[in-house]
Amino acid sequence: MNTLSFPWIIIGPLVLSPVVYLAGRLGVQESSIKRRSSFMRGLALLALISAWVPFVLSARIFLTGEKQEFVVESIWLRVDGISLLLAATALTLGTMVLLFSSSYMAGEKGEEKYYAMLLVMISMMIGLGCAGDLFNLWVWFEGMAVSSYLLVAFYREQPASLEAGMKYLVQSATGSVLVLMGIAVVLSNTGTLDLAELGNIGDSEPANRMSLLAAAALLIIGFGVKAALVPLHTWLPDAHSQAPSGISAMLSGVVIGAGLIAMLRALTAVGHIEDLPILLLGFGAVNTLFGNLLALRQTMVKRMLAYSSLSHIGYILLGLGIAMYDGGKLAAQGAMFHLFNHMLMKGLAFLAVGALIYGLYLQNGNNKPLMISDLAGAAQKYPLVALALSIALLGLGGLPPLAGFMSKWQIFAGGFQTQNIWIMALIIFAALNSVLSLGYYTPVINFMYRRSSAGIVLTGKPLPWMISLPLVVMTLAVIVLGIAPGLMDWLTVPAGEQLIVMFRN
Amino acid sequence: MSGILITLLLCLPVFGALIVWGTGDTRPKAQHTLATIFSILTAIASFVLLFFTSSQPTVLLQSGPAFGDLIFASDGLAVSLSVIASVLGSLTVLFSVDYMHGEAQLGRYYFMMLVFIGAMNGLVLSGNLLFTFFFWEITALCSYGLISFYNDDPKAVAGGIKALIITQVSGVGLLAGTLIAFANLHSYQIVDVLAKANTLPASALGGIAFCFLIAAAGKSAQFPFHTWLPDAMEAPTPVSALIHAATMVNAGVYLLARFYPAFAAVPGWTMAVTLVGMLSALMAALMALTTTDLKRTLAYSTVSQLGYMVYAVGVGAVFASQFHLLSHAVFKALLFLAAGAVIHSAGTRDMLKMGGLGVRMPFIRNVFIVGALALAGLPILNGFWSKELVLEAGLNHGPLWGYGLMLFGVGVTAFYTIRMTWLVFFGREREHLHVHETGLFMRMVTGLIALGTLTTWLLAGPFSVLLSRSLPFHRLEVLPTLTMIEQVLMAPATWFALIVILGGVGIWIVTQRRSMEQQSIEFHDALSTKSSFSALFETNFGFDWLNQQVIDWVRSIAMFLQKTQTGQLNWNILGIAGALLIVLALLWSYQ
Repeated sequence: MNTLSFPWIIIGPLVLSPVVYLAGRLGVQESSIKRRSSFMRGLALLALISAWVPFVLSARIFLTGEKQEFVVESIWLRVDGISLLLAATALTLGTMVLLFSSSYMAGEKGEEKYYAMLLVMISMMIGLGCAGDLFNLWVWFEGMAVSSYLLVAFYREQPASLEAGMKYLVQSATGSVLVLMGIAVVLSNTGTLDLAELGNIGDSEPANRMSLLAAAALLIIGFGVKAALVPLHTWLPDAHSQAPSGISAMLSGVVIGAGLIAMLRALTAVGHIEDLPILLLGFGAVNTLFGNLLALRQTMVKRMLAYSSLSHIGYILLGLGIAMYDGGKLAAQGAMFHLFNHMLMKGLAFLAVGALIYGLYLQNGNNKPLMISDLAGAAQKYPLVALALSIALLGLGGLPPLAGFMSKWQIFAGGFQTQNIWIMALIIFAALNSVLSLGYYTPVINFMYRRSSAGIVLTGKPLPWMISLPLVVMTLAVIVLGIAPGLMDWLTVPAGEQLIVMFRN
Repeated sequence: MSGILITLLLCLPVFGALIVWGTGDTRPKAQHTLATIFSILTAIASFVLLFFTSSQPTVLLQSGPAFGDLIFASDGLAVSLSVIASVLGSLTVLFSVDYMHGEAQLGRYYFMMLVFIGAMNGLVLSGNLLFTFFFWEITALCSYGLISFYNDDPKAVAGGIKALIITQVSGVGLLAGTLIAFANLHSYQIVDVLAKANTLPASALGGIAFCFLIAAAGKSAQFPFHTWLPDAMEAPTPVSALIHAATMVNAGVYLLARFYPAFAAVPGWTMAVTLVGMLSALMAALMALTTTDLKRTLAYSTVSQLGYMVYAVGVGAVFASQFHLLSHAVFKALLFLAAGAVIHSAGTRDMLKMGGLGVRMPFIRNVFIVGALALAGLPILNGFWSKELVLEAGLNHGPLWGYGLMLFGVGVTAFYTIRMTWLVFFGREREHLHVHETGLFMRMVTGLIALGTLTTWLLAGPFSVLLSRSLPFHRLEVLPTLTMIEQVLMAPATWFALIVILGGVGIWIVTQRRSMEQQSIEFHDALSTKSSFSALFETNFGFDWLNQQVIDWVRSIAMFLQKTQTGQLNWNILGIAGALLIVLALLWSYQ
């Protein structure tokens, strides 16, 4: 009965989430607020630990090669390399964000909703990774989306935050409708939604082919909204910059990656598509270029980071496209590794920026966005945060010896292994884009290490250690994975292999 | 043993960097001391490694098939460059004790200096192309950080980012070449590339060769990527001496020399290398004629001298190129450090404001003259011997017109060198500068390097033994020092060159009538106002304009794209609908 451990990764946080909410609502006397909120945070942390334990157990079972499946009525859950990778990504960043938020969100109105929704979002994403049939995939996906709407529009007194939430809601809903239509087309043509079954159908007759291709287009675009493919990305800069920093990190680090994985899973349902690699490579190239060019002139730190997410989705797409083009293991593994590394680096960047916002603005009762010029001289007051942000940005820019370099290198090496001149040209294009991205990452670092400080930095308040702790952990992780990328092989190799298996036919 | 030494060469500086940084900027004295100790220990380790050179690579770590094993080569080519990096590194750190005295944020300065020394060692010693690229990038990052060290100064920030972007763009060449090699050979090992070059398809080998040439040109500030080096002169002067004269900029020459046996047979490659070297050597020498900034003049002269080394590789004289690399590293570090002492004391880099400083800082004047004579290529300094070897190889193996142009370059070099020396140290005092005393460490370090400039040419014999014994693919001949002396003195090329050098000096003397420094200024004025050449020289032959165009172009596209992000919901939904139609059309069209 070992195989039953993995549903608890999902169930744990999901069940504890309403408890966390209630714990936050009960006991409304002013005197107990502080105690109440730390009790609630403790519960939330417990919920995540309750997910970590079955995750570790499940991962150990997975590595022995045993199959793990779970069926209740029509809900199918399966564990494979990709679900494990997504679970690890979501849980790692979720834990870091939770630790980070304990000070960042302390005393905010509606704090209990924040934690409850964060837990729901994490659990939904893990469920999405395990979903074994198309309809449930969509349900998990919607669950993740709904919980994230509430989190994006968390500061409900601020018009900008509401505007961002509204845009996000409408655009995501548009995407969801398309996904639903795509699923309907698949069902009416094949009569089943089980992904394992659909994957074995193979090529169907031509009449079906056209409608299945239409379904593919609907699924690509529908999930593509969440995965921030250009030009479906327009919700992202607003949502990422207006959300509380921890949520920015989650959105940018995991949610868009989860959207991408949902898309991949769904695409196995429509049979073999000749042009899929070309499509993914095309989106990858456009995403990389547009993301970089749009980030180049941003003056707000969080917006810049949001746009840089576009370019990183682009690198992942390149890796996926190459892997599907020739079944290259290196590129598939690289894409999955980059998904994880992007979570680490972008998560770290958003959390570090969040720490600065907390020190410079929030503690002074100010809700303005952090501008790049506000960072001048920040390193003198916040040496640790400045270092963390620098490491994160350099890693994102793809400089060794940091994690981002290694995963990009795997993708690039996979691309050259195809020996296809167009793909090789695309890789060189992507590498030049990495150089371009240094054009907006390095000035930020430069600003922080200036000698003369911006006025706002001088009025900054000290940071509590709970905010610094996740920054230290993630900074170390970015460096260690850059020096010893092999440490993640147990996770990225099966995920890459699974990807190849999914798109083999 | 060599494994331990290589580990030390990589880890000592990095470890030292962390310690110095951890010491904190409140204790500058401890920072100076620690940085000096660690850099000197590194230098000692590199010296010891000289005795363990072999053609056999050393494996430090087996890191799996995706990234290749962590392999280091301890052959003569690698070790000699590592010695240059470590020894000159420790001397510049020692020089910094005086130069950076009282500066803020010393921790950051020494951190990057020491990391740079470690990364440079890694770059030259690495036997795995992935790790070569790895260290290649780290040196670029340190160079960027140090150029922008005075980051409140917009010029320093701009210079840093320019250097970073240009070297990174060309670094993509190294990335692409490495990946082509990996895709064809399933190995990152440099030895494999050298050994199996013949088995590679011609297109792949050609691709690697030209990609590496691009990378080398960017790193060594060669045509058409040379524009970053002059702007990099915003860095503190010890940084310019170490990174932008003596070590990092040699990495490109090193790369070409390292792979010469594999690439020599690629059609057009040697010619391309020769041309790149020639164009850089000549253009930069001409640009050095009109510059009035002392450090920029030296920077142009660095580009020019690196051009001679690249040219030497192009005509097949790998030993001559490496020998000139050694000489140049020593005398150019001397010139930069002496210039640093002048700038530190006088508080300006503008040569037109200097003049007559020789009387007030005689020691620095004397060492600078030693360096200048070596740069000009006068006997018996190290620059003379190595430059003659390069020119001789050019005459014997290269195209004659190319040799002629390089010979012309030698004359120009002599001219700008004497002009520079005169403007700074001799003639009348043009502006009254408050000259500080130069520090003890400054004099000690420049004195030591001056001694090196006078003597390193005696190492030609041992150096050639070192290279020829440990580089099985290069097929180099042993050239004992005495033979070299005889060969150089008997070669007609030498006498042509000496005549041209004297010609350069002669023209400089003849063109001045009244007072020498006045003449120099007028010469400069004449060039800058009347002749269209000077406009050409001062804008890097239009390459600065080209760089600017690229920047403007990227910026305007970015601006245009920004306008498309209206933030209006209707527009956004239209984007989704439009994308759906396009994807649908694409998927259907192939059915």
